[in-house]
Amino acid sequence: MNADVFLIGGGLTPFGEHWDKNIRTLMDEAMSSAIYAASVTALDIDIIVVANMLGQATNYQSHLGALASSLLPHKPPALRVEAACASGSIAIHTACALLESNKAKTALVIGVEKMTDSDADTIAHALMGAADEEHDQSCSLTFPGIFGLIAQRYMYEYGLTRDELSLISTTHHRHALDNPFAQFRMSVSPEDVSNSSMVADPLRLLDCSPISDGAAACILSTESPKRNSRIRIAASQIANDALSITQRPVLTSFPATKDAMERALKEAAISREEIECIELHDCFSIAALINLEDMGFADPGRAVALYQQQSLPVNSSGGLKACGHPVSATGIKQIIDTAKYLKAENHQWGLAQNFGGAGATCGIHILERTS
Amino acid sequence: MTPFTPASLHRQQKNRNRKMQEGTVLSYTVIHTNSHPLAIGLIQLDDGSKILGQLQTTNYKLQIIEIGQRVQPRISLMEVTENGLRRYDVTYEICTTKDSPIKSPAFPGYILSLTGPSGVGKSTISRMLVTMFKDIAPVPIITTRTPKESDNDNEYIYVSKKKFADIQKKGDIVAFAHLEDTDDTRWYGYRAEDIENIWTKGMIPVVITERHLLQGLANHFGRRSILSFGLLPPGRSRRAMLSALLHRLRERGRDSEESIRDRIKHAKKDLAFFEDRKDLFDQLVVTSNLEDIVNIVRRTLPHLA
Repeated sequence: MNADVFLIGGGLTPFGEHWDKNIRTLMDEAMSSAIYAASVTALDIDIIVVANMLGQATNYQSHLGALASSLLPHKPPALRVEAACASGSIAIHTACALLESNKAKTALVIGVEKMTDSDADTIAHALMGAADEEHDQSCSLTFPGIFGLIAQRYMYEYGLTRDELSLISTTHHRHALDNPFAQFRMSVSPEDVSNSSMVADPLRLLDCSPISDGAAACILSTESPKRNSRIRIAASQIANDALSITQRPVLTSFPATKDAMERALKEAAISREEIECIELHDCFSIAALINLEDMGFADPGRAVALYQQQSLPVNSSGGLKACGHPVSATGIKQIIDTAKYLKAENHQWGLAQNFGGAGATCGIHILERTS
Repeated sequence: MTPFTPASLHRQQKNRNRKMQEGTVLSYTVIHTNSHPLAIGLIQLDDGSKILGQLQTTNYKLQIIEIGQRVQPRISLMEVTENGLRRYDVTYEICTTKDSPIKSPAFPGYILSLTGPSGVGKSTISRMLVTMFKDIAPVPIITTRTPKESDNDNEYIYVSKKKFADIQKKGDIVAFAHLEDTDDTRWYGYRAEDIENIWTKGMIPVVITERHLLQGLANHFGRRSILSFGLLPPGRSRRAMLSALLHRLRERGRDSEESIRDRIKHAKKDLAFFEDRKDLFDQLVVTSNLEDIVNIVRRTLPHLA
């Protein structure tokens, strides 16, 4: 990082089905609570970065930068970024770049998605926009289908069993029990997961993150907050890979995660072992395992052991599975939750990993709590 | 979804030849939709490329799909639009035979490949790279053609066709090409062993390829392992390029006029290959100035000694 960037406030709407709220009200709610939590006023915000993927396809609303700007009294400049499910972390990355280059002193980053207004087919098609139009979409494949292919191959190569895979969702649901912002605060047993209805063989309903509405906002600033405990963005890295899974050498690993991880550790100048908590992108249960392996916390095929031993705090918030996955809000929510966890547990280093599509974009942020 | 328009349909049709190949199932899934379950496979086609396609099964519950099964292409009706247009696409039928299970290849190391028509300067560039960089080593080509005076030492291993077929049968040859000429068919191939030996020494192998050899190497070691340079003769049109090649071939005076004619015939296909299989090339370089090419290699591989 070319400048010290601090996370000075964060705000979330609960994730879930918000029939009474639209994009504007969701954004307003998250922005207001982020500004309330921060030590600054709305007028200190120099720029807004909005993350959104589906606004045009499902809500007939693009131009979200202007919409976000109109919610603040002084109408600060605003822009929107998109990288499918990684939009959130790309937005943070963009804001960091603006702050590091001194274009702005304080930036508000907001991710928003309103998904429950559309029927299932519309949403499935819109989400497939995150895959390759030419190579992936023509055979009526869906995103659960893509991860079904990945899971099938993973189970074939490493001998992962159905019961082992069910452990992932069970763990994440248990973590969400205490999270008031989570969409599903209920415990789910491994048997429940294994017996839930089939979505895309071998993935079942409880392997998949839900369709959700929600917004997450955070305020980043180069001006250090006058508090005892501060959260600094120690690393912000993004990496990319071939868009289509047909153009990758292997199915069971995402090289973009590996790239982003190596560079993030280098930027933060820490080793992997120093990281004390992780929020990772578990859009499907199998993705959690692949992410842990790609980030180097487990050998290929062995990540399930981390869940069996409970040896590392992974997705203490409940992850995408239990908290819900309003596509573009997720990356920002992960940062906010990581910061919360660092403060609550008095830890120093936390990591958030967020990817888009089938790992074609990956954003990794490392947060440091300093006192 | 791709919009269903005459233009988009036309673009899809262009790919149909590639899709009409047999292949092996790398992974599959059955998507449970409202209407009927849909089986979709990630298939490794026999030319080494991968494709996603619907799998034809009479009953997804009765017919057991497995990774490693062979599939055959079929043209099937995909949908009938509201105005009555019928859209066809390639689907894949599961065969009963099973291929040996394909393992995802681990990343073995880099191969530097130089691909281009005869006379474009592949061997010259390869020799230049080998003399200029300590880390680059040439890979000997197994060939059935007769030795020529102009051949360098260690560049070729000359074998009979019988011997070539024997080595191939043992599975030692990972990439081969049969080039038909008017009087003879020349066979060329690379052995995995030769390439792996260079890796164990910590060096980067450089190979001279044409379309079949390049595809073979990409299939065996994975496309990711190959740093692939396509070499184009100078010229603004295909005709100008071919004429440049013709001049060079005549100038070097190694080949008979008849053999030159054969080589130009192959060259046409080679040039088309650059277009058809863009995915197999990392960089296309025009070989007007050899120094430039060395500089490009140096820029791409800055760690080379």
